[in-house]
Amino acid sequence: MGGAITILRPVPIFPERAFVFSALRWITAAAFTVGLGGCAAEPARGPIVVVDDAGDTVRLARPASRVASLIPATTELLFAMGRGGNVVGRTRWCDWPAAAARVPDLGDGIVPNLEAIAAVRPDLVLLYHSAQNAAAADRLRSLGMPVVQVRSDLLADVPRIAGLLGRLLGASAAADSLARTFDAELAAASVRPPSDPPRIFILVWEQPPITVGRGSYLSEIIERAGGRNVYADLPASSGQISVESVVARDPDAVFTSSDTIPGFARRPEWQAVRAVRDRRFIHASGSEFSRPGPRSPAAIGRLADRIRGLPR
Amino acid sequence: MMRLAGLAAFALIALTIGVGAGSVALPPGEVWSGLARADAPASLIVRNLRLPRALLAFLVGGGLGVCGAALQALVRNPLADPYLLGLSGGAGLGAVLAIAARPGSGWPVPLAAFVGAMAAVVLVYRLSVVSGRRLDPRVLLLAGVVVGAFASAVMSAVIVLSDAPQLRNAFLWLLGGFTASSWQTLGLFVVYSVIPFAMLFALARSLDLLALGEETALHLGTDVERAKRLVYVAASLLTAASVATSGIIGFVGLVVPHAVRRLWSPLHVALLPASFLAGGGFLVLADTLARTVIRPLELPVGVVTALVGVPLFAVLLRRNLA
Amino acid sequence: MLSARGLTVRYPGAESPALADVDLDVLCGELVALTGPNGSGKTTLVRAILGLVKPAHGDALVDGRSARAWDRRELARAVGVVTQREEVLFPLRVREMVMMGRYAHLGALGAEREVDRVAVHDALARCDVADLADRRVDTLSGGEWQRVRVARALAQEPRALVLDEPTASLDVRHEMEIFELVRKLATSGLAALVVTHQLNLASRYAERVLLLDQGRVAALGPPLEVLTREIVSGTFRWPTTVALGHDGAPQVTPLRPGDHLAATFPTPGHGR
Repeated sequence: MGGAITILRPVPIFPERAFVFSALRWITAAAFTVGLGGCAAEPARGPIVVVDDAGDTVRLARPASRVASLIPATTELLFAMGRGGNVVGRTRWCDWPAAAARVPDLGDGIVPNLEAIAAVRPDLVLLYHSAQNAAAADRLRSLGMPVVQVRSDLLADVPRIAGLLGRLLGASAAADSLARTFDAELAAASVRPPSDPPRIFILVWEQPPITVGRGSYLSEIIERAGGRNVYADLPASSGQISVESVVARDPDAVFTSSDTIPGFARRPEWQAVRAVRDRRFIHASGSEFSRPGPRSPAAIGRLADRIRGLPR
Repeated sequence: MMRLAGLAAFALIALTIGVGAGSVALPPGEVWSGLARADAPASLIVRNLRLPRALLAFLVGGGLGVCGAALQALVRNPLADPYLLGLSGGAGLGAVLAIAARPGSGWPVPLAAFVGAMAAVVLVYRLSVVSGRRLDPRVLLLAGVVVGAFASAVMSAVIVLSDAPQLRNAFLWLLGGFTASSWQTLGLFVVYSVIPFAMLFALARSLDLLALGEETALHLGTDVERAKRLVYVAASLLTAASVATSGIIGFVGLVVPHAVRRLWSPLHVALLPASFLAGGGFLVLADTLARTVIRPLELPVGVVTALVGVPLFAVLLRRNLA
Repeated sequence: MLSARGLTVRYPGAESPALADVDLDVLCGELVALTGPNGSGKTTLVRAILGLVKPAHGDALVDGRSARAWDRRELARAVGVVTQREEVLFPLRVREMVMMGRYAHLGALGAEREVDRVAVHDALARCDVADLADRRVDTLSGGEWQRVRVARALAQEPRALVLDEPTASLDVRHEMEIFELVRKLATSGLAALVVTHQLNLASRYAERVLLLDQGRVAALGPPLEVLTREIVSGTFRWPTTVALGHDGAPQVTPLRPGDHLAATFPTPGHGR
């Protein structure tokens, strides 16, 4: 009836009737809340309740069928689950699979374009959970669109978010299957760490030099690919470091997202780093290396090949 | 003379600390052997990274101190700093445009920042040329603020319209840092800054007179227009070179001349060299702090100079009012 | 030493000239007072004599040469100027301030020589501020500050002195000190041109008084000839009475509207 109506703000058309409807919805919602969480049952209709990564409880009257996916990770997952047809909007960064290109581009996922989102009339909006998106989430909700905010930063988020999406779209079977496949592929692709893994320095930005700590996806996949992030002792996801520190840690190779010799490698101060001097780079360009998703196991596999291929 | 020697000693100590401390904790013995012998294990870090970086920070800090003093005399305003003539806005805009055009490679950024800074300077000069081609200090101030604000606005627009995540990182560059220091960058800066430094030191007397007011300076025999132009050009070039090397580092150019004036004398013959030594030493120490306080991570130097500079300035003000 | 010959200055866009056909000679050894109503052109005349404005007709000369032809540094070695106002942003010591007067002799890169130190010492002594030499200029009183500025002008070793209202906001004692000082300097050989509103002091200290009115010379001559009731009342458009002081110099007293001495209000424009 008239698109997504969340019970957060019932719209009484005829007060008595609305009251009865609300009461019914609340009762069934309560029952479902108790039964939710890892539940594999697939209600084809009826209210859906989830708690998103922002801690908000979101209720849908029925499974979502028009999803504005403003996170590249969720776009990938939805297509991988076979629900690409339900995606009515994506961000400009959603570049996989190729079919996603046919979905309308709504712009940025951080501080999104509200008008563009509203124009595609979604019954569910997926936003990346961050402080900058808080206002957008509120605004979209006040316009009557349910918003689910997720954090899709690490490998562990992939099956978790897949499950969430499954519930939201009434596609739990596909979601669970995807999660199981992902876990299996991940286990297969992950390399048992050798006793002396090659030490890798990950540079994500040149000026000033920025690396990633163990709280980042890139660090995770490098470690699973049989390498060791020289900055794994940093819990943060990223931080600015000095060349001096890299020299002291003496990595065996440098990870770079460029396909050719990166610009910084020619700079005089970087020649103090042995791996740069010897041009030992691991090249890996492609968005599967910058966000977790269904392609992660394959990404790990490619990285593992390159790491194995490093001359010792 | 004694005081200048004291300042020189301070500068030397600062440099020593700058070479001795860093992201990697090295005991003094290792640092020394790294300096003395090319094959020592620490030599790569100490000789190739720390030494040029400390020297570069020293020169840039010295340049900022001297430029700050000169501009304060030129515009007769104690709140002037080297970036006042629209330089910071112009540099920022140049850097952002370079990053937006060619994301990934860092090379064009310093050059673009320099070009942007000089473009802003030229624009401010044009704006301030009132009838008779006089560089009116009040107009210079206003024009600098206006051009800086305009450049910042355009910069924001560029950021909004382009690759947001990468440009957010670009701000870190603007915040100031010596991460890209090497003997080559040091050499480039030296070659670049020799002439502006020499010009400013030679203009010491003229700066004394300009600081008294243009009319007074005129009657005391200064070619006011020529002096103003020379100071403007030299200070702009030197500051633009600093920004291109290490981003925008605040407070050094503002606070150091004041500190030196209070503790010494406002005569530029003494003020300029003292500002050079004090500014250099201060920035080396600030950079060392930036590298060691959260090691192995680094803070942008501009953050450290602000955090240290503000209380220092408050102390100075207190002393002055007492 | 300082001259104006048929000097006419017109500011762009102005209806009437700021100065019209002014003739003046200030010789070495004499003190000439320059006075007149506000806006009569006194500042313009001073600026023209210092070569700061271009005359429309006639010329201003310094030591026989056109003022505009002088190099600024050269001019600073010939003429010392004390302007109306000076605000010091970064306080110096008195000795350093007076040393600034030597810059015209030193140039940009010259080091201070013995002759410069002697000149500063002499200037400080002649202006009676020698004991203030190590004080900071922002700790001086108004009178002391003025004397320091005169000392700075003296340190230039000029042949002429131009002072623009040097006693504004000074008390009686400091006023007298300044005029005594300038008188002494003039007597010792300098040509002194003093812009002042103090008619009564001008009459006692100056050899000659130049009275300007709307850009023209209203009167020029010894105080007795210039400071008469008719001329003063007519030029300043206020009734005054003039009496001879104890030293024979004319003393001007402006009248109040009710004073019984105001016999007739003299007709405006009554001049020489």
